[in-house]
Amino acid sequence: MGSETGLPKWASEPCIMGIDEAGRGPVLGPMVYGCLYCSVSYQKTLATLNFADSKTLKEEMREELFENLKADESIGWAVDVIDPRELSAKMLKKHKINLNEISHDSAMGLVSKVLNLGVLLTEVYVDTVGDPEKYRIKLSERFPSIKFVVAKKADSLYPVVSGASIVAKVTRDRALRDWVLDETAENINRNFGSGYPGDPGTKSWLDDHKHSVFGFPTLVRFSWGTCTSYSKHLVEVLWEADANDEDGASETTRKRQLKLTNIGFTASKMKTEDITSSGKGRCKFFQSRKLELLSEF
Amino acid sequence: MDEGIECSPSLSTAAGTVNFNRNGESVPDLTGKVHQLPCCIKYDGPTSVAHYFKPKDTGVEIDGLRIEEAYFRGRKLQGTTIPLPQGYSGFVLRKETSAENAKCWEMNAKFQNLSVWNHDGLPSHDDAFMRSFHWFAVSKALHQPASAEDLESILFCMEQE
Repeated sequence: MGSETGLPKWASEPCIMGIDEAGRGPVLGPMVYGCLYCSVSYQKTLATLNFADSKTLKEEMREELFENLKADESIGWAVDVIDPRELSAKMLKKHKINLNEISHDSAMGLVSKVLNLGVLLTEVYVDTVGDPEKYRIKLSERFPSIKFVVAKKADSLYPVVSGASIVAKVTRDRALRDWVLDETAENINRNFGSGYPGDPGTKSWLDDHKHSVFGFPTLVRFSWGTCTSYSKHLVEVLWEADANDEDGASETTRKRQLKLTNIGFTASKMKTEDITSSGKGRCKFFQSRKLELLSEF
Repeated sequence: MDEGIECSPSLSTAAGTVNFNRNGESVPDLTGKVHQLPCCIKYDGPTSVAHYFKPKDTGVEIDGLRIEEAYFRGRKLQGTTIPLPQGYSGFVLRKETSAENAKCWEMNAKFQNLSVWNHDGLPSHDDAFMRSFHWFAVSKALHQPASAEDLESILFCMEQE
């Protein structure tokens, strides 16, 4: 999503861009990266448009500013909406991708997208995620032609980042408001609250929507610490991806536990906590197909 | 899963007895609703699968496998639905509650296909589960009785020598 008119004339002049995020902290809903760009010569006018850090503005004000900047032909914008399912899935992969990496990738995706539109980006201002200097180096290596300014609280320092924060925040709020729940159970309501773990509305929504087997609706970011605290209410689920983590840590205890039954000299009853059968102790044909001989079940 | 079981009222092995008869009652057909997940869920019982587990067709086909996507407990699963080979059926068995015979099972439902799910990987014909189907062909070759034609052709060969 982003500005849809063809490439404006000013885009071939040197341009600046701001990047900011909304919905990084919440335990539910999408995380949104937004950017706003304009020509260097428009910068002064931009400063008069009263963009401020989106968090300090009232919702109606943000909505109004977003509509204004969308109508402004001297401004371009784009967003990247990262689905909560994608966030959870990446953070819970076998090779886990952390939130900083996901954030960096999203910001770099926006830079590529705008460059590919043909906009002559010369300076990009980014609100930092993690260490500012390391992040700046990462961005500069990827886009050597652009000067990056990475700073804490960039959204209150640079109007172009304030603008980006409005784009991101309004998009995140709308996405959550219009969220189509995947789940079709009848007792599901939409009083999510802000989505922040500390919000009483969000807390009671989580309480009301936990499910012993499925955990939560997929709107929820399962990889958040907030969800882990609910684990005592949920049925335990074991994954191969997690089992491997433990293997590394307790290699010696694992070896010590290697009994005859484990290597399969005696056909054994399948244990309930086994994630897959093994075919251990049988010929290769069965081993590679994990076909175990069950003498009792 | 076993072959040709439908015609026999019960199957007995050293492991126990499975009762397929159900006194003529028909059992639910779970075709399209059986999922093999790449995890161990420490729960045994009914739950609202259809309301929470929503597989979606991706429209992508790899080596003849139609790729589907679903999420469970925050993990992305990729899977495919495979039919059981001709002549085979899948059964859901439950231990009979009568304490007399602890090793007696009854059939509660049957199915003709199942969806196999991987965490973090596309389903493929090389997956152990998919390859386990090779056993059906091997088993058939091992257990098929020699037919009259098979014997005749051997006799014919011997006469030629």
